[in-house]
Amino acid sequence: MKKLAIYFILLLFLFSLVGCSSNGQGSTKSLEEKTWKEIVETARGTTVNFYGWGGDQRVNQWIDEILAPSLKEKYNVKVNRVGMNIDDILNKLLGEKQVDKKNGSIDVVWINGENFYTAKKNGLLYGPFTKKLANFNKYIDKDSHDANYDFGFLIDGYEAPYGKAQLVFIYDSAKLSNVPRNYQELLKLAKENPGKITYPAPPDFTGSAFIRNMICDIVGFENIKDIEPDKEKVKEAIAPAIEYLKELKPYLWMKGEAYPATVAQLNNLFADGEILLGMSYTPYLAAGKIQTGDFPETTDTFVFENGNIGNTHFLAIPFNSPNKEGAMVFINHVLSVEMQASKYDPNNWGDLPVLDNSKLNEEEKNVFENIKLGKGALPQETLLSHRIPELPADVIPIIEEIWMENIPKKGE
Amino acid sequence: MKVLQKNTIYLNIIIYSVIILLIFPLAVMFMWSFARSWPWPYLLPQDFGLRGWKYFFNPTSKALFTLFLSVLLSLIVTIVTLVLSIPAAKSLAFYNFRGKAFFEIFILAPLIVPPIAVAMGIHVQFIKLGLADSFLGVVLVHLIPSLPYGIRILTNVFQAIGEKIELQARVLGANWWQAFIFVTLPLIAPGLVSVGSLIFIISFSQYFLTFLIGGGQVVTFPMLLLPYIQSGDRMMAGVFSSVFVLTALLFFIIVEKTIKSHYSSREYFYF
Amino acid sequence: MDSKLKPYMLLLPAIIVLLGIFMAGLLSALVQSLGYFPVVGLKKITFEYYLEVFKNQDFLKSLFFSLYISLTSSVAAVIIGVLLAYLIVKSQYKEGIETVLYKLPIIVPHMVAALLIFNILSQSGILPRIFFNLGIIRDQSQFCNLVFDKNGIGIVTTYIWKEIPFVTMVVYTILNNLNKELLEVALNLGAKKWQGFIYVALPLLMPTIGSAFIIIFAFSFGAFEVPYLLGPTYPKALPVLAYTAYTNPDLTNRPYAMVISMILTIVSVILILLYTKFFRLLNDYNR
Repeated sequence: MKKLAIYFILLLFLFSLVGCSSNGQGSTKSLEEKTWKEIVETARGTTVNFYGWGGDQRVNQWIDEILAPSLKEKYNVKVNRVGMNIDDILNKLLGEKQVDKKNGSIDVVWINGENFYTAKKNGLLYGPFTKKLANFNKYIDKDSHDANYDFGFLIDGYEAPYGKAQLVFIYDSAKLSNVPRNYQELLKLAKENPGKITYPAPPDFTGSAFIRNMICDIVGFENIKDIEPDKEKVKEAIAPAIEYLKELKPYLWMKGEAYPATVAQLNNLFADGEILLGMSYTPYLAAGKIQTGDFPETTDTFVFENGNIGNTHFLAIPFNSPNKEGAMVFINHVLSVEMQASKYDPNNWGDLPVLDNSKLNEEEKNVFENIKLGKGALPQETLLSHRIPELPADVIPIIEEIWMENIPKKGE
Repeated sequence: MKVLQKNTIYLNIIIYSVIILLIFPLAVMFMWSFARSWPWPYLLPQDFGLRGWKYFFNPTSKALFTLFLSVLLSLIVTIVTLVLSIPAAKSLAFYNFRGKAFFEIFILAPLIVPPIAVAMGIHVQFIKLGLADSFLGVVLVHLIPSLPYGIRILTNVFQAIGEKIELQARVLGANWWQAFIFVTLPLIAPGLVSVGSLIFIISFSQYFLTFLIGGGQVVTFPMLLLPYIQSGDRMMAGVFSSVFVLTALLFFIIVEKTIKSHYSSREYFYF
Repeated sequence: MDSKLKPYMLLLPAIIVLLGIFMAGLLSALVQSLGYFPVVGLKKITFEYYLEVFKNQDFLKSLFFSLYISLTSSVAAVIIGVLLAYLIVKSQYKEGIETVLYKLPIIVPHMVAALLIFNILSQSGILPRIFFNLGIIRDQSQFCNLVFDKNGIGIVTTYIWKEIPFVTMVVYTILNNLNKELLEVALNLGAKKWQGFIYVALPLLMPTIGSAFIIIFAFSFGAFEVPYLLGPTYPKALPVLAYTAYTNPDLTNRPYAMVISMILTIVSVILILLYTKFFRLLNDYNR
């Protein structure tokens, strides 16, 4: 028995030694000095660990079956996709930062908004790097608001755009002939159909966006976009919207006493006919769901007449990525016409492209125009002309807090 | 006599209705894995599809590979746990020593302290030791929820068989490992099987500890499953859950069959 | 081998693992709950966070919600589980399929269990569909919501579904090995069947039932998956509250997460003490 214990301890030590000795060796030339060509060369034959949300089978499939093979073929870079929530990714990075672990395991993160804000503030990201990317320089409008601000927060070259999203409402044209075009009409609809409208509870991403959308519709984006992240000030500014949500509450599903925890649950309720409106921050979700048979053929989407909130989602590189060159090649390839177009196709994912239309040549423009959007999808022009930017990232948790204190708890 | 039979019928009705209530949800889940369209208020899916199963068996989704890796991981955890638990359980079952009560409590602690309270601290320690993001690290952290069950139940098993038989073998001239292999092991084998199965399930179901310590570099089956449950894709969740349950079931059946056939032929050995 | 040292040597490997991994984690949580978290510049040791958490209405609501969920589900699971075990022992086909079938929920992980119950109890689940087809309800909204509800019915049901087989399995093993003569003597002396169960079998089972209760109570008290997937928006179960604070992008919230974790731990430690007490009782009975 004594021997067994000794063996065991020896084994433990041995393994921990193996764990320590696997640190990579630094290259001779620093990444900052390398040209794009050299970066592509260094990346050849490596594997990129891509971490991001993994709850959508179609997105996973696009990455696994289109993006990954294409990267392998063009750059000989392998992709290892890991599905993980951004909260957990940041926690992992934070743990590594805490003990100053130089060699991490994540090369690319799918990120935006308040998470980007937190990550950058805590030094969890590598950068600036976007100016190194060939396709970023070629196709992105560097002066646009979208390329410089993520939820009102300065990007500074620490993340590159991945795709654009916009909040859309989903309805079944067989059940609803007149869609609400603003907040008053939504309230009217709820009063006429009690228990048939709801929205996901924050911190669900889409639920939180819905609340911001109502705030913008009621208060006006211009009146709130520069607000300081101070609870009292925000409270005052959004008071009419909170009053509105209180008025709406008794006519909601479950009398507003409970809200779906995720947007997917909301859309399941919609698919089952329990509620009249679904919603999604992926504008072509409905088109895809019609094809998989989850939503009826008569499903369609709409936005408010004064516009719906939209944002851009991004790709970033963690501070301790062991393969920053590979990460850059990965991100660069995502910004190619070929990938952006296949991502735009609702058959694959249905995510809006981030490339600047005016920087594309005729042939490249045609690639996008030839994609058939199919049923249930609003054209890209309609979405872009009804687009409100996101509110500053640091105001969002405050809005969620105010919602939490005022809406679900009341009446107990 | 007739009254008794009537009672038996009632008894069976009650037993079977409880069992059906326990099994029914699993059947519904299995149905969802094939349901392309299942709107309210139909009791059966209106349209069937294989999107989920196709995705599962598609090599690019790596689902099968992950399943294999998960089973391997849980097997290793089970074996390591048993190896550590047998001596510890023996000690607690057969010896009286100073601090025994303390050790008994200490060993049970991980069973009751919520994992969320310790996971973060473990994570930081493991990064320092170079164990984070490694297969070995995940094996080690799975020992935490497994060991209390292993030790506790095996202690009871040892208490039930008693120490005397192994001692007799020693008196008859067997050395300690002979006594263990030929006498003790066959006696505790049935207990080992049930403890082992339980530990396998515990390890196989771990989500929180695995993803924190494995950091996405060690991907186990529950990590593929949870995003689909969370996102409400009922078909995908149905597919992955069905695979999960079927794998665990298959594992149980194989273990029980091999052990049983092994033992019926060797029964004379210990009686 | 020195016989005095032997029990310690046998325990050593397991203790090293538990000490090295488990205790290290617990200590680090304790330190953070006291406000020591240098990465974000928190370096002062203080009880402030504990005080603040205890003053917080949301926390108290969550604490009671969690206690309520664990208590209700564990009591129900124990009662049904013990009865089922008793009935299976009494029934004639002891080696039949039912002794295997009832164990199925044991191998189902909690997150899948949550999905199963959601498929049954939600307003579009199978249960309201059955009611609709039987003509009991005319519309989905007539079926009161049983998941995401304030009474935690979805969570409680999930735990009951998951824990009944566990209780049954544990109790069945003991009950089956119980001294049957004792029961028969009681029956011969004129006791009715239920009297035999209540006055003879139940007292002998009490230690087992008690420890099974403590295990499932403590588990449901500390686990976060089920209330996370099926719980109401408000109040949140305690582990969910801890997890939300833990994953809050604002890292200065971390000490609050750890305070909640430590409170979960303290409540659980009290349970451990009860648990071992039950084990001692069990041993006394066996002697």
